[in-house]
Amino acid sequence: MDYDVLVVGSGIGGMESALKLGDMGYKVLVVEKEPSIGGKMILLSKVFPTLDCASCISTPKMAATAHHPNVTVLTGSEVARIGRDERDGFHATVHRKPRFVDESLCTGCRQCEVACTVAVPDQFNGDMVSRRAAYIPFPQALPQKALIERVGTSPCSFNCPAGIKAHGYVSLVRTGEYEKAFALVAETTPLAGSLGRACYAPCETECTRGSLEGPLAIRRLKRFVADTHYALPEPPAVDRLASNGKRVAVVGSGPAGLTAAWQLARKGYGVKIFEAAPEPGGALRLAIPSYRLPAEVVERDIANVTDLGVEIATDTRVEDLEQLRRDGFDAVLVATGTPNAARLRVPGEEELDGVRSALGFLRDIKLGEAPDLSGKVVAVIGGGNVAIDTARSARRLGVAAVHMVCLESRAEMPAYQWEVDEALDEGVELHDGWGIAGFRGDPRVESVELRLCTSVFDENGRFSPSYDDSVRDELSCDLAIVAVGMGADTAAFPELVPEGARSIQADPATLQTAVPWVFSAGDAVTGPTTIAEAVGHGRKAAFMIDGWLSGSELAGFDEPLPVVDRAEVLARQRSHSRREPLVTEVHVAGALASFAELEDPLTEAEARAAAGRCLDCGVCSECHECIAACPADAINLDMRAKDVEIDIGAVIVSTGYKLFPADLKPQYGYGRFQNVITGTQMERLLAPTRPYNTVLRPSDGKVPERVAYVMCTGSRDQTVGNPLCSKFCCMYSIKQNQLIMGVLPLADVTVHYIDIRAVGKGYDEFFEQAKAMGTNFVKGRVAGITEKENGDLVLRFEDIDNGGVLAEAEYDLVVLAVGVQPNADASHLFAPGELALDEYAYVDEVAEDLNPAATSIPGVFVAGAASGPRDIPESILHAGAAVSQAAAHLERMKVPA
Amino acid sequence: MSRDIREVIRDEPLVRGRLLELLAGGPLTVPELAASSGLPEGEVMVWMMGMRKYGYVAEEKGTTGDGYYRYAAVRRS
Repeated sequence: MDYDVLVVGSGIGGMESALKLGDMGYKVLVVEKEPSIGGKMILLSKVFPTLDCASCISTPKMAATAHHPNVTVLTGSEVARIGRDERDGFHATVHRKPRFVDESLCTGCRQCEVACTVAVPDQFNGDMVSRRAAYIPFPQALPQKALIERVGTSPCSFNCPAGIKAHGYVSLVRTGEYEKAFALVAETTPLAGSLGRACYAPCETECTRGSLEGPLAIRRLKRFVADTHYALPEPPAVDRLASNGKRVAVVGSGPAGLTAAWQLARKGYGVKIFEAAPEPGGALRLAIPSYRLPAEVVERDIANVTDLGVEIATDTRVEDLEQLRRDGFDAVLVATGTPNAARLRVPGEEELDGVRSALGFLRDIKLGEAPDLSGKVVAVIGGGNVAIDTARSARRLGVAAVHMVCLESRAEMPAYQWEVDEALDEGVELHDGWGIAGFRGDPRVESVELRLCTSVFDENGRFSPSYDDSVRDELSCDLAIVAVGMGADTAAFPELVPEGARSIQADPATLQTAVPWVFSAGDAVTGPTTIAEAVGHGRKAAFMIDGWLSGSELAGFDEPLPVVDRAEVLARQRSHSRREPLVTEVHVAGALASFAELEDPLTEAEARAAAGRCLDCGVCSECHECIAACPADAINLDMRAKDVEIDIGAVIVSTGYKLFPADLKPQYGYGRFQNVITGTQMERLLAPTRPYNTVLRPSDGKVPERVAYVMCTGSRDQTVGNPLCSKFCCMYSIKQNQLIMGVLPLADVTVHYIDIRAVGKGYDEFFEQAKAMGTNFVKGRVAGITEKENGDLVLRFEDIDNGGVLAEAEYDLVVLAVGVQPNADASHLFAPGELALDEYAYVDEVAEDLNPAATSIPGVFVAGAASGPRDIPESILHAGAAVSQAAAHLERMKVPA
Repeated sequence: MSRDIREVIRDEPLVRGRLLELLAGGPLTVPELAASSGLPEGEVMVWMMGMRKYGYVAEEKGTTGDGYYRYAAVRRS
């Protein structure tokens, strides 16, 4: 047996149970689902009728519980299921939620909380004020340790193939921390400027806001932070570790190679990049047209890498990997992309002048060697994004016409639809559904012979075009540019390419090739993908190379939390106000005269507004500000939930009660009228650790002069299915009346009640004391509340003591004395129906009068308000009964049968 | 307050700078801040209390004649 007793819940009943059992020498495990022990009592202002400070009473109990040698406390944990074991005891599964903060290191300094960029309602202050995603629950919380609310990975971040924390940089832009946003992107890649322009933004496709008015402009926000960083006269230097003396050669300077080099250099490796082309950057520099991605942006991104000391040798084609090894490189990354153009293999393609590949055409333009196409007719063959780039580039070179021919129908084209739309807007003529039979001319191409494509894919979805050769057409042209695919150039690396393979072969998990010191990443391995995917591959390669060179296991790369359910994100709010998305304006008119960038940058105001639309899907944005701020290095975002299995002898259920949701009495306006609050919220306003500087009304911060209480809200009320009296609402209201008059001596306090139940030692005297202090008690139900324009509230009520008339009165603030409800958590601890509930759904005490605290399950006992409404003294007394029962049960277990 | 409290609170980092700019001219009450910024009073109250909690603003002693506290920006290191 791991523990003698499992106590579920750490409110006053649970703590009292654990302490007494611990004092008796029993080993006790307390499991609390909240991140702090203390339950509801620790959040109270004072207790009745003594008006003692609730914190002053609670905190010693909390400390004693947490530090008792016989008591173990698990906060942030839930008992998933309790069942009988074979020895007459119980077996329990405890689900431990990750805190994402190492409790042994956290000093409770709250630096993470101050640095956190995500604001959410503070449930420990009745949602009247914000807290942060990284937080310490409340000032007296125990343990006094931070935690981070992470409900999963935000869809934008989860779907970024590069692994960029998109939610994180959006959150930083929202806060106005642009440089930190850039630094967060730079944790992943040096290519913020390029990705901010040329990425196809799968983050936006998955953005939850997309199911409201439209997704956030996440890509353009990245461009904004890159442009802002690059505009700094002296951008801050990038942190890198001291040299570790090891060298890595990177072959290829595309997005995969540059990202890998960046990552490795920051880890202290000496990195040299070898690039066959005259300029570094791969497709970024030599293929993507400048109207989408200006060369100077790519160059600035690449400068991030060279600023770290990475050397780039251009015009240097590597053909002997062994030579690199002999030259002193400890590892090599081959990231040479897909520079070889695919061919159509049709008559005339090879023989005729004027038939060329799209890659060569685009490269010539980017290197300043654009052909003169004035007045020419150009045919572009292909339906993908490269074909679109080619056609639109040709339009900028003075052509008479550009015809784009593709096998697919418009809807099937692999190019992004918005790019197709823009190409058509620019005057590109689309001939979809046609295949190429050949090129005609002598010696220069004069036309393209077309044949009807009847289908592109076979029944299994594989590319397998079929044609109707009886339907043909001919398209005149002066130049034909073929953009039908790309492939890896593997000629120099035969040792990395198995026979029959078209690309370099690397272990998908480790990116290690058949040659252990050679890794390969990017399109050279995967075939043509996207910039973001290549970046992600490059980052992974760097991780694996670092692991291999440092003798670590090649595992553990990027294991994010599961993606957040977007429906659950939307359901967190009762409504979402409309926030218009940014409209991306592309200046087609006049654009054909040059390769000038089409898309305008965001202004700062636009960027802040765009970021402000974020829904904080995962709650924590992974902006990493807490990591940077924590002086103890205690933040650990890699923590994951785990289940703990335990054997116990007895169980005490002390799961407490739930408060009645006041919005279920819509006539009182809770949730609609800001100045209608609950008794629990007033407790917080009156507490020493209150959310406001004093008791203020929430609508405008005014000191209230007229305060009303509406008693029995949700209790003794058949209309909401709760006939029970909650027992302590009268007394806590009377307590609050007195405290309000202490804080606000000029305030008028009125209580609208059915009858006052002040049963207990000193309770009635306490009631009389409130009356003597000036509280006005009005007998009769409140029918409804309306709100005036200035936030004042008008109560309509019956006044029984004055003949039962209906009357109205105005107040600054109305407090609903909400009742309590059973907590369904208790019944979920056991198999369905095993733990009997009473007719009101509280835990049933099967012989309450003669055998208190005993439940329907032998060995399982109930303490406190889990079995019915109880105030604090009653809960403590009841816990005493549960303790006695549990101790007796444990002792009986020791007696041989 | 017509907007969901979660949505209002989420905007706190977004509006913080704007409110602090207004407070640079001197302490203001919540209604005064709302009037100056054009933002809803109830939402300004939520943001100001959040900013107070995290040390961006602090109340001045005493209230105005009509029962409001004035809040001043706090210089942060």
